[in-house]
Amino acid sequence: MDDDSRAALSNLHPVAGAGNLLPTTDEASSSTGRSVRIEWPTIDGPLGLSHEESLTYARRFFKLGFLFLPFLWAVSCFYFWPVLRHPHSHQSHPRLRRYLVGSAIGFLLFTTVLSSWALTFVVGGERLFGHVWGELVMYNVAEKYGLAGWI
Amino acid sequence: MEQNPRPKTILETCGEEIIRIVTPVSICMLLVVILVSVLNGGSSFDDGLSFATMATMAYSESSSNSIWDKLKGALLNSLVFVAVVTVATFLLVLLFYLNCTKFLKYYMGFSSLLVLGFMGGEIALFLIKVWSFPIDCFTFAVALYNFTVVGVMAVFMSKMAIFVTQAYLVVIGMLVAYWFTLLPEWTTWGLLVAMSLYDLAAVLLPGGPLRLLVELAMARDEDIPALVYEARPVISDAGLGDGVVRRRVWREGRGDLDEDQRLRSDIVSDSSLRTYGESGSERNIVDAEEGMALGEDSELAAPLIQHINIRMNSLDNAVSGENLALEGIGLGSSGAIKLGLGDFIFYSVLVGRAAMYDFMTVYACYLAVIAGLGITLMLLAFYRKALPALPFSVLLGVLFYLLTRLLLETFVVQCSINLLMF
Repeated sequence: MDDDSRAALSNLHPVAGAGNLLPTTDEASSSTGRSVRIEWPTIDGPLGLSHEESLTYARRFFKLGFLFLPFLWAVSCFYFWPVLRHPHSHQSHPRLRRYLVGSAIGFLLFTTVLSSWALTFVVGGERLFGHVWGELVMYNVAEKYGLAGWI
Repeated sequence: MEQNPRPKTILETCGEEIIRIVTPVSICMLLVVILVSVLNGGSSFDDGLSFATMATMAYSESSSNSIWDKLKGALLNSLVFVAVVTVATFLLVLLFYLNCTKFLKYYMGFSSLLVLGFMGGEIALFLIKVWSFPIDCFTFAVALYNFTVVGVMAVFMSKMAIFVTQAYLVVIGMLVAYWFTLLPEWTTWGLLVAMSLYDLAAVLLPGGPLRLLVELAMARDEDIPALVYEARPVISDAGLGDGVVRRRVWREGRGDLDEDQRLRSDIVSDSSLRTYGESGSERNIVDAEEGMALGEDSELAAPLIQHINIRMNSLDNAVSGENLALEGIGLGSSGAIKLGLGDFIFYSVLVGRAAMYDFMTVYACYLAVIAGLGITLMLLAFYRKALPALPFSVLLGVLFYLLTRLLLETFVVQCSINLLMF
């Protein structure tokens, strides 16, 4: 597409028939300042997944996250960060992106709800909850059920 | 017009690889030292665990015994422990020989579930108690559940984000190491020395279980399912003279590299073919980005060195399975350095025990462990086969601990008291 980036890539061998292999080294892209084409959908780059596998994994993460696993959604967004970050690239995957956006929204929602409850609990304390606070706080629960004595 | 990348100096390639293995080891040790200093309140008590675990089966130390009794007891405990570990390793070799890889993987996942869930939860509870952190039980339960499940997935699935997998392995190492520091003092030191001698024997002797395991894995060209920390491989720039493109290789199935497998291969500038092995036995089928023949230079840069997963079942009711991937350090089939999780654990136990005395011993032992690790890495570069990572570091560490505690401390303290130095 660009002569600059073409020139910068000329040290890499052209390969016949490799449609989506447009080697874009990070140095090249940052030096030219163009919009980065997503070569690799995962944050691990060449060590990560391929495009087809990414779809499977993203879908699996998205579905498993519904089992009260917002952290899994966060990990999924972290893992596929290049796709989330560059929506209009040459190789954007609309389907992959949909799962990622869903994961991101789910994570944000869940975290908001959970942290608002946690903060209410911490800040409100006894005044808000009365004696129930003492029954809900973790260190008392651990004492009551002897949870910390196993080790 | 070619870009000429600056040729990488040895500092960048070699140094980078070493740093990528020393950093997680140091982080694990640091975390254990922090845990030990926060949770043990600075008083080094010799009584340790009050109930019987596998490590204290033979002898339960109490601070009132004489030194000779303690020594004998520690020796007995260590022998028992090493015996159990040997049996477990042979069992592992047998299972691997009978191709029960799936079972081993599931067991690995199960024991990381136990370590992360139960031990992680317990230690979190200890921390909450110590700091009186006003978290409620629902939030705690959700957080622990999330943490555990994602951790099991990271360990189980070989295709999770590398950073997440590495972080979880370090956390697992930290949790198990903390458990070990709860053992009585003499027993811990005896255990460390015994395990490093066992490591030496098991990896280098011809009949050693770990050597058998490595040879089996090499013969079958397979990965051992194990908790192994694999450092991210250092990727050097594409060579200019080769005209060969950098690509990635994943091994598909158990086959060798041939052209009609769907591969992407990574060729480093010295044009030796390096393949990236996987630390799990799940195979990924990589789509054919290009089908360039890689017939030439198909030497694998290093034989497939794998690391072992030792299952240890401690008998106490809390933890019923611990994975110690012991033995060592080796080269992944890419040249990326692999260090077993058991090494992380025992290094951290050493430093954690040193922390229970004083921070001076911590610094000395940390330097000793890192020096031992450096020596081991050098030997690894020399010999290019699986090496035991415990002996040098642990023996140096124990030596430095004794020297510091007995000699250096009196020296430093006397100097400080008399306002001479420090």
